[in-house]
Amino acid sequence: MIHVDITEAILDPMAALQHCCSDAHGAAALFIGRVRNLNDGRPVTAVSYDLHPQLCRNIFSEICQEAIDQWGPDLRVYLVHRQGRLEIGEASVITAVSSGHRDESFKACRHLIEQMKVRAPIWKQEHYVDGDSEWIKGHALRSSD
Amino acid sequence: MNRAITVRLFGAFRQGNPDSRLTVEIPEQARVADLRAAMEATLRDANARSLLKASAFATDSAVLDDDEIVPDREISILPPVCGG
Repeated sequence: MIHVDITEAILDPMAALQHCCSDAHGAAALFIGRVRNLNDGRPVTAVSYDLHPQLCRNIFSEICQEAIDQWGPDLRVYLVHRQGRLEIGEASVITAVSSGHRDESFKACRHLIEQMKVRAPIWKQEHYVDGDSEWIKGHALRSSD
Repeated sequence: MNRAITVRLFGAFRQGNPDSRLTVEIPEQARVADLRAAMEATLRDANARSLLKASAFATDSAVLDDDEIVPDREISILPPVCGG
């Protein structure tokens, strides 16, 4: 069972754990990505997230389905990302997985966050103490030259 | 014969483009590589032209390869990504 979304609302880890819950599941893994106050030695005050909504949802679903294909059809899988301006400490992304045993949950949860970071059409602009802002260099999606 | 296509801008491409869209003229049967060349000729900013080289083009459902035909009316340009 898959749940993916993008939202401007504050992320709720309990919503992820409620989705990733089954009497047959003895394990649940949860990852929370948060905005930190420093990047490459430069003090950060906030991060703005821009994304392509429709394509993002498609890619999220694709990544979640890969986890189910690899670690089991009964997995419960959750992937939600924030958009808009976030302050220091706010959660930007939550991934969660539940499964019968812990190994599948850990591995699948790791798959979600790692693949999301290199495949999902999301961009972040850091805002700095000195008032400057910068779009962060990322991972190219281009597959041919 | 040429046609106009709207390119939706994201991330760093929004800088200096408040409406987040560009209109580009391309040949009727243009492929993504042709659109890339047309955009390169349109962009005045050297940083944007450099970003274009590392960027992908996509519909609402899939990222396109350079040899694919450009869809009808709208396409998105995706600079390198960095979610999370």
